[in-house]
Amino acid sequence: MSREVVVGTGAGLDTADMVLNIGPQHPSTHGVLRLRLVLDGERVISCEPIVGYMHRGAEKLFEARDYRQIIVLANRHDWLSAFNNELGVVLAVERLMGLEVPERAVWLRTALAELNRVLNHLMFLGSYPLEIGAITPMFYAFRERETIQAVLEEASGGRMHYMFNRVGGLKEEVPAGWTTRARAAIGEVRRRLPDLDNLIRRNEIFLARTVGVGVLSAADAAGYGASGPVARASGLDLDLRRDEPYLAYGSLDVPVVTRTTGDCHARFDVLLEQVYVSLDLAEQCLHQVDTLQGPVNVRLPKVLKAPEGHTYAWTENPLGINGYYLVSRGDKTPWRLKLRTASYANVQALATLIPGCLVPDLIAILGSMFFVVGDIDK
Amino acid sequence: MSEFPGKGLAKGLAVTLKTMTKRSTTRQYPDTPPDLPPRSRGVIALVEENCTVCMLCARECPDWCIYIDSHKEEVQVPGAARARQRNVLDQFDIDFSLCMYCGICIEVCPFDALYWSPEFEYAEYDIRDLLHDKERLGDWVETVPPPPAHDTNGEPAKEETAARKTQLAG
Repeated sequence: MSREVVVGTGAGLDTADMVLNIGPQHPSTHGVLRLRLVLDGERVISCEPIVGYMHRGAEKLFEARDYRQIIVLANRHDWLSAFNNELGVVLAVERLMGLEVPERAVWLRTALAELNRVLNHLMFLGSYPLEIGAITPMFYAFRERETIQAVLEEASGGRMHYMFNRVGGLKEEVPAGWTTRARAAIGEVRRRLPDLDNLIRRNEIFLARTVGVGVLSAADAAGYGASGPVARASGLDLDLRRDEPYLAYGSLDVPVVTRTTGDCHARFDVLLEQVYVSLDLAEQCLHQVDTLQGPVNVRLPKVLKAPEGHTYAWTENPLGINGYYLVSRGDKTPWRLKLRTASYANVQALATLIPGCLVPDLIAILGSMFFVVGDIDK
Repeated sequence: MSEFPGKGLAKGLAVTLKTMTKRSTTRQYPDTPPDLPPRSRGVIALVEENCTVCMLCARECPDWCIYIDSHKEEVQVPGAARARQRNVLDQFDIDFSLCMYCGICIEVCPFDALYWSPEFEYAEYDIRDLLHDKERLGDWVETVPPPPAHDTNGEPAKEETAARKTQLAG
């Protein structure tokens, strides 16, 4: 660690290292993350991500809420992938209870999880270029988001916090004709997605800002426990949907998008490719849903108690691996529900990624790590 | 890299030009109201007559934003030997500044006294005005849309099944 001096005291031509705090409030950080940087001129010498400004004690609150109320809380820590977060909680509870979920619900859940993944990725595909100066992709990304959000709102009533999962299945059956409209929306997004692709993916200015910037090696990614698109861009070929299938992923062929360069552009590229993949998966699931008949949930007692024991469920959330360690002592609330969130692990890699880069690259790297601060701080 | 310099930029501009010739997707909100689906969770409506003051909604609310108060009244039922006790609702407030719009209260209500309405234009200048009392919650009832029909592959709504049963019985 180099010597740290407060700016302005250095005399003459002696240059002193400057400590610069980025955040807790900064437009490029999607929330309140603080980075403590030590700068030597324009170059960053060290970077320490300081988390916790948005800590809401979600895990502690889980211990005082019943399993339905937990879903409300769980879909809020990562507000961009609410459906996937709900899913992790209910999968853990269902596993502990040994509950069999109706097949129609399983396929519907898979379809909705993939649609939520598309929504999450589109958000970052719009906001990442915005952070490094390109406003336009945001409009295209939001046009697509709106199309899919309309479909999700029709089924669940919510645009962000769906509250559509329940222990044992889904809240209720989807409206008549919904699968057709969902497929139409998927088709429309797939047709228009090349706009976003053409607009930014090979844009020279974007390439200049992102190619070769913030290279994360596969070893570092694995060392920090990074997962999801961030790790796959570094060549870490890990996707729970293929490697440890849950829901209906076991009967689907999940193509895993990977890149090897591990730079900012590779991370963006993975995200964009994954949108195409997720749209295909969602469509396959919807076709399957149309062939299945029956209920979408299991009748359960009013007061739901998970039997004594513990279980660990993990899911491939849009941002990476989310883990749920559920310990129950047979009460109607969990004794402990530990969250392992993707953003928390991914953001730790910033400590090796940022030192050595220039201040302008800092934003490019920060934006490309695709995290939600609520997901870091819980 | 691209074959000639600026190809990426040109492709981007082509997208812009193509989009320029198309109709705008933006809808000018206050002038054009959005089409919201019937399940949209905008505001909670209360059908006061159906409420039996069982307090389930207030207890199940994850952040306790429902305030209920009541008193007991004696009702003389003709033909009955003794007077019956009945709960009368005095206060039913939902604090929408706390509400997380999860819908648990509506789901747990055993007497169908609560409904979602897609209505959302109730912003206030003062946060205290977001506390809707039972009159205001009752006013939302007329904006409650009929629920959408369920997918024919799935199970019908439990209200439909119940209605069919009563029809068969009657």
